Amino acid sequence: MSARAELDVLVVGGGTFGTALASLLAEMGRRVRLWTRRPEQAEEINREHTNRRYFPSHTLPPGLEATSDLAAAVRGAPIVFLAVPSRSFRSVARTLGDSLEGDQCVCHTTKGFEIETFKRMSTILREETCTLKTGVFSGPNLAVELMNGYPAGASVASHYQEVTAVVQDLFRGGRMRVYGGRDVAGTEIAGAFKNILALAAGVSDGMGFGDNSKALVLTRGLSEMARIGVSLGADVFTFCGLAGIGDLMATCASPLSRNHQVGVRLAKGEKLSEILTSMTQVAEGVPTTEAVQRYAVAHGLDLPIVRAMHGVLFESWQVEDAVRNLMSIPVGDELSALRYR
Amino acid sequence: MRLLRVAAPCPHRPEQSFPVPSESRGSRDGTRDQALLDRDKERALAEVVQRVFENYSRDPRSVEQALFDTLYEERRRLETEKDRSQARRQASLYHQDYREALHAPLGRQRELLKRIIRGFAEEVAGHFDPRIYALATRVIPPSLTVTLNAMSPLRLLGILPGGPGTLHDQVDIKGEIDAFRAVAKLGTAVLVATHSSHMDSILLGYMLYRIGLPPFTYGAGLNLFHNKMLGFFMHNLGAYKVDRRKKALVYKDVLKAYAGCTLELGYHNMFFPGGTRSRSGAVEKKLKMGLLGMGLDAYIHNLIAGKEKPDIFVVPCTINYQLVLEAETLIDDYLKEVGKSRYIIEDDEFSKPRRVLDFVSKLFSLNSRIHMVISRPLDVFGNTVDDEGRSLDRRGRVVDRRKYVFRNGRPLFDRQRDQEYTRELALSITEAFHRDTLINSTHLISHAVMNWLHDHNPELDLYRMLRTGGARESLPLPEAYERLERSRQTLGRLEQQGRLRLDDTVMRKDPVAVVSEALAHLRSYHRTPAVTRSGDRLLHRDRNLLFYYQNRLDGFGLPMVEKPQ
Repeated sequence: MSARAELDVLVVGGGTFGTALASLLAEMGRRVRLWTRRPEQAEEINREHTNRRYFPSHTLPPGLEATSDLAAAVRGAPIVFLAVPSRSFRSVARTLGDSLEGDQCVCHTTKGFEIETFKRMSTILREETCTLKTGVFSGPNLAVELMNGYPAGASVASHYQEVTAVVQDLFRGGRMRVYGGRDVAGTEIAGAFKNILALAAGVSDGMGFGDNSKALVLTRGLSEMARIGVSLGADVFTFCGLAGIGDLMATCASPLSRNHQVGVRLAKGEKLSEILTSMTQVAEGVPTTEAVQRYAVAHGLDLPIVRAMHGVLFESWQVEDAVRNLMSIPVGDELSALRYR
Repeated sequence: MRLLRVAAPCPHRPEQSFPVPSESRGSRDGTRDQALLDRDKERALAEVVQRVFENYSRDPRSVEQALFDTLYEERRRLETEKDRSQARRQASLYHQDYREALHAPLGRQRELLKRIIRGFAEEVAGHFDPRIYALATRVIPPSLTVTLNAMSPLRLLGILPGGPGTLHDQVDIKGEIDAFRAVAKLGTAVLVATHSSHMDSILLGYMLYRIGLPPFTYGAGLNLFHNKMLGFFMHNLGAYKVDRRKKALVYKDVLKAYAGCTLELGYHNMFFPGGTRSRSGAVEKKLKMGLLGMGLDAYIHNLIAGKEKPDIFVVPCTINYQLVLEAETLIDDYLKEVGKSRYIIEDDEFSKPRRVLDFVSKLFSLNSRIHMVISRPLDVFGNTVDDEGRSLDRRGRVVDRRKYVFRNGRPLFDRQRDQEYTRELALSITEAFHRDTLINSTHLISHAVMNWLHDHNPELDLYRMLRTGGARESLPLPEAYERLERSRQTLGRLEQQGRLRLDDTVMRKDPVAVVSEALAHLRSYHRTPAVTRSGDRLLHRDRNLLFYYQNRLDGFGLPMVEKPQ
């Protein structure tokens, strides 16, 4: 790493995942800098080694250094992790683009699309920065579990072997096993799409259905994920990896997931607007459902679970009707949409 | 006459990179340049052989493999060579090499491989004969004038006595001319152009002449050297030879290394990144990465050598015809079943002087113009470059491009990374090609008729539709006007967004005028007119041609009739 003496990695975004990632790396002895938008938050992290807004009961490693000056933070960082919500991704990327240089690698961890354009985050990075060496980091990584120090795994995908190698090196010898790959599109789509399925799994749980029902919605949902992925140029096998099935198992089974919580509350009859105003964090699945549904209609893709989820979220469908609808769709060959491409 | 100097050093002082003592360089005119050119060529040759050989010599097995693969490919090629006596001679030499290599120790195998590489390199670089060069650039002896007057496309393009004025009017050059000139001074330029016709190379030469740049080094297919009209001039002029029948990897490496070395020596290069003339008629979407990557390769070599002007700039250019000389042959080849298409076509319209003559005179009498559009220069990573030669990101911020190849503060090669960078460059080039493609009336009318055919013959596949034309042999003119108007609206919106260019007629005239201009063109040159008018109806006649011309609109979001995959 080029700036060995100074810094190993910059994490941009002091939310749950950014903080967890930075802590994990700092604990391993890596020199980590964490950028947060609010100076008070940076101050809190530096002085008290806590980030109470997101982790009220955790202490952060003392080696973790936080700052709110992005331009200064970028300098000398061989790799930058970008962990901000999809709706602020472009503006943060643009600011980052003012200071980034061509020898730096950027890896993002954002699971979502840009709603208006249906662009993937790597596309936005390309548009807003001069960096070519970009990648995506994704997998079953519930932030609280990472903070608790449990073993975990993830995958990093990039067209540049240098990026995967640098990221893998960073995590080597720690509690996170990071697998490499080249399918950037597939990894991004998997991460974004699983949030829709987390909503659906939440609905299933909220309705009081059992594990059979949830397995049904997740497995058929995985098939929809693969269908849209293939139509966008992804490798179908990516969806069998940590970014696909792996993330699906964690997020959709766990009550820790924000999207899952939204689904449960929808099934209990709460209105979407009420749920969203009561939450402090972003539930990426909601805007993603809208973006994916729009894309599916425009491209003639058959994605029944997305369709039903969209109905419940934005068209005031009753959850019971949505379930009845899904159960009455004619059944055909299970894998035909993928096998006979 | 300068057009015919296919290669000469660029006006800025090319820098020395290979370990040869530097000498003062002459002006770009006159024979002094050629003495330098000869010397540079010798250096380039030595460097090419060295680099290609090194690539294989790292491990003994790859030497052996390269040697036997090359001998195998070459002997196979020679079996089908037309010139039998020469082929037999060459084949027997290769046979001797093969017999010897079978039992030779590694040291001897290395020598044999090096000799083959040297042979390839010498053939690529060609033999330079100053006498012929002088003849081509200055005086045409009377005996030659007679022959050439009768049949040379060069004459028709106004290079020989008899009408440079016409040519000036007929070829419209626009776009980023100043930026092109600027980057050719600031560094070494690589001109990459869309490719529809063998006329392209002549036109590019003419374009460089008109905007005041020296001729660019250019790899020409052997078939052009064999062409009766051009061959004479292509020989010995510094154009290097590309023999596309040679399939050996070693040979391809030699070609790439030759292009790279000339770039490093400061010679501007030009090539067609699509690799061959577009068969379908569509603007190139897939580019050949190997040759394209030599720009980046030369750039890194230059940085490592610490040159004062290390930069390589890539300048895309589109060549837009209303009629394409070889349209019939090209689309015919495209429609052949997959795998049967010919990569090299030697018997097309370009090899028939009368067709060329006919084509050019028709084009001129129709007042048809050829539009050449120069796009904004790019760096070797696909970023646009401003007039000062600075790279800009997509938000217009200045980028320090050297950083892309730096690691630990130093420039270095990274094969995998560099391939991806070249992919980025290719993407930027195809975007530029599409943005600067100029759509005109022949494309629009062809698109309208093709889509009408498709809509009225839903039961026919493309091949049957093209062959039979379906149940109805004509469509009412008003319907053609309406369809044409609809796609013009869509294209007009794209034009406003800067995503393509529209020809003046298409922009300003009403559909009636657009159709009548298109008809005048389509009936003028091709053997069978693509479409003709009869009363108030349009008859589709050569549907392959209609398919060819409509394909130019592929990639702009219009509904297209496509060849089944």
